[in-house]
Amino acid sequence: MEGFLINWITTFPNFAAPLLLACMGLIICERAGVLNLGAEGLMVVGAMFSVMIIYSGGGILLGVVGGMFAATMLSLVFGIAVVVFRADQVLSGLVVVALGTGITGIVGRAYTHKPIQGIEKFDAGALGDIPFIGRLVFEQDPLVYVTLFIVIAGWYLLMRTNWGLRLRAVGEDPATADISGVDVQGMRLVAVMISGALCGLAGVYLAVVSSQVWVEHMVAGRGWIAVALVIFARWNPIRAIFGALIFGGAESLTPRLLAIGADVPVYLMNMLPYAITLLVLLWPYIRGRAASSAPSSLGHEFLRQDRH
Amino acid sequence: MLNSVVLTRRQKIPLALRASTFVLGLTVGFLVSCVVLLMSGVPLNAIFSEFVYQVFFTSLGQSQTITTATPLILVGLGAAAAMKLRFWNIGIEGQLWFGAMASTWVAINDIGPENIRLPLMMLAAVLAGAFWIAIPVFFKLKYGVNEIIMTLLMTYIAFQLVQHLLFGAWQDPSTSFPVSAHFDEAEKLARLGWGNAYTGIWIALAAGFAMWFLVDRTRFGYYSNAVGLNIVTARSTGLPVTAVIVISVLLSGGLSGLAGAVITSGAEYRLTQFLAHGFTFSGIVIAFVARFNPLGIIVAGLIIGGIYTAGETLKVFYSLSEAVVVLIEGILLLSLLISDFFKTFEVRIRNLKGN
Repeated sequence: MEGFLINWITTFPNFAAPLLLACMGLIICERAGVLNLGAEGLMVVGAMFSVMIIYSGGGILLGVVGGMFAATMLSLVFGIAVVVFRADQVLSGLVVVALGTGITGIVGRAYTHKPIQGIEKFDAGALGDIPFIGRLVFEQDPLVYVTLFIVIAGWYLLMRTNWGLRLRAVGEDPATADISGVDVQGMRLVAVMISGALCGLAGVYLAVVSSQVWVEHMVAGRGWIAVALVIFARWNPIRAIFGALIFGGAESLTPRLLAIGADVPVYLMNMLPYAITLLVLLWPYIRGRAASSAPSSLGHEFLRQDRH
Repeated sequence: MLNSVVLTRRQKIPLALRASTFVLGLTVGFLVSCVVLLMSGVPLNAIFSEFVYQVFFTSLGQSQTITTATPLILVGLGAAAAMKLRFWNIGIEGQLWFGAMASTWVAINDIGPENIRLPLMMLAAVLAGAFWIAIPVFFKLKYGVNEIIMTLLMTYIAFQLVQHLLFGAWQDPSTSFPVSAHFDEAEKLARLGWGNAYTGIWIALAAGFAMWFLVDRTRFGYYSNAVGLNIVTARSTGLPVTAVIVISVLLSGGLSGLAGAVITSGAEYRLTQFLAHGFTFSGIVIAFVARFNPLGIIVAGLIIGGIYTAGETLKVFYSLSEAVVVLIEGILLLSLLISDFFKTFEVRIRNLKGN
């Protein structure tokens, strides 16, 4: 039992990292007042393009960067639609999911089920032999540590710098930010593209670290879980770390149980990540804290002429 | 640069402008889709022949288009019923799964006498679909829980439940595939004797006209228009806002559930693993293209049905992924969303020297 628990907990970061990356991107985007429901589509694009590049011999680094770049370009389409053309943010987000699914379905057909050499875990030698925490802390893959760095840096950028203050002002009260000289639309476009890059990296993680192969539907709703995670974290990156660990833990339970040959209803177990997300999502609402933490201007287009 | 553009909300939108932006949006959408298809290796004359001639002008194509459009019209009506009131039902597939499960449950357990079996299956599907959306409605109205996420996550839960049944209790013992047992004759919607088209299309058309009557000719429809336009004003004029939202959204779930029963009893004759796939987005696109008008939804449903049919052909002949359908839908919706900008706003470029 103890062995099972340690094995299970050791896999938490691996399942939490993609959720956390996407969630971090979405937090930045939503803090600027743009509701980005396209995470699922951005992740698919990141995953597929990174596999395409690596499979074609471009190398891992180029694959990672290329996947992020492709997702950023897709997010730019979304950004132009909602920021410049003031399109409905919910519908435009769904469009991003459709475009991502469609493009990867067509382009990725040639790369489906072709295994690639991805990123492996560190072998920390003696450090990994430290009981309980050795493998958990020292023997993760490099991107897990990068993720942690991104989240902490993101938190600092958002909460402790002038740029972050301006970005949050745009999301809370764009009219006032506009008067103070902040470029509301520019800020929102940048925020959308950051979310594109980070959601793309989340997809890259799934493809290059977790599965090391591209299959259609492999993102399997994780983008939506990340959207829910933002609400659970109440738009705070640090709280998102705990949320991602909870969801990642729920997700990694089924493969662990199957690995030790436990006789469990697989499909009911597969429900767990979604069901737990749902229950955890309800919590801030029932306590009445979700609405008060949300950026005031989230989901609303800004029009200088509407100022009053 | 962006700040030198001055936008003014139009107080009145002339019909000509409404029509021209709509046509422009659709045209650009279709053109971009053509470019994407060309780039994926489909020749230009094949695009015209597959997407226009084969699916709308040949008897076989028409019957296939009508077959595909049957559940699409129903989910389009369902999407419109909720979206009109600014309730985002992104869980149409989940409600469709519940409708499919409920109808299958009635069918394989032989509930009720045979002569009312089909109506029972439909009724069970409507109730099951309405039940699956009743949960997010409750939490939305009571606690303000975001319905987008909730309906969406519940779709994944519904799908896993279907898998659990198909790989377990409901699996057809005569096969190793994850499908339920075949329905009896009394549990199948009759064919029209025209390709695969079945009587489900009458159900879809009846639902379309009923929704038109409800929205256009009754007090309830008047109320729901008012709530959709401005919920605050509707509430302060004393309209039963909560009741209108609850009824409309339950209707949305019920129609989506009905689409599930129509597929199991009319097209598949059993519960299968992938029958709900893609219906959420298609329903939303159909409702949006038709501007929530129930009669328009019938037309839009047929058009999207045609795109589905053509997509199937492309999959066979050009080994294109079926994702091409969702891509075209996405391009169309994006193009319409952007063209609406020119309808909603009057755009002027500010004189840099003056104000």
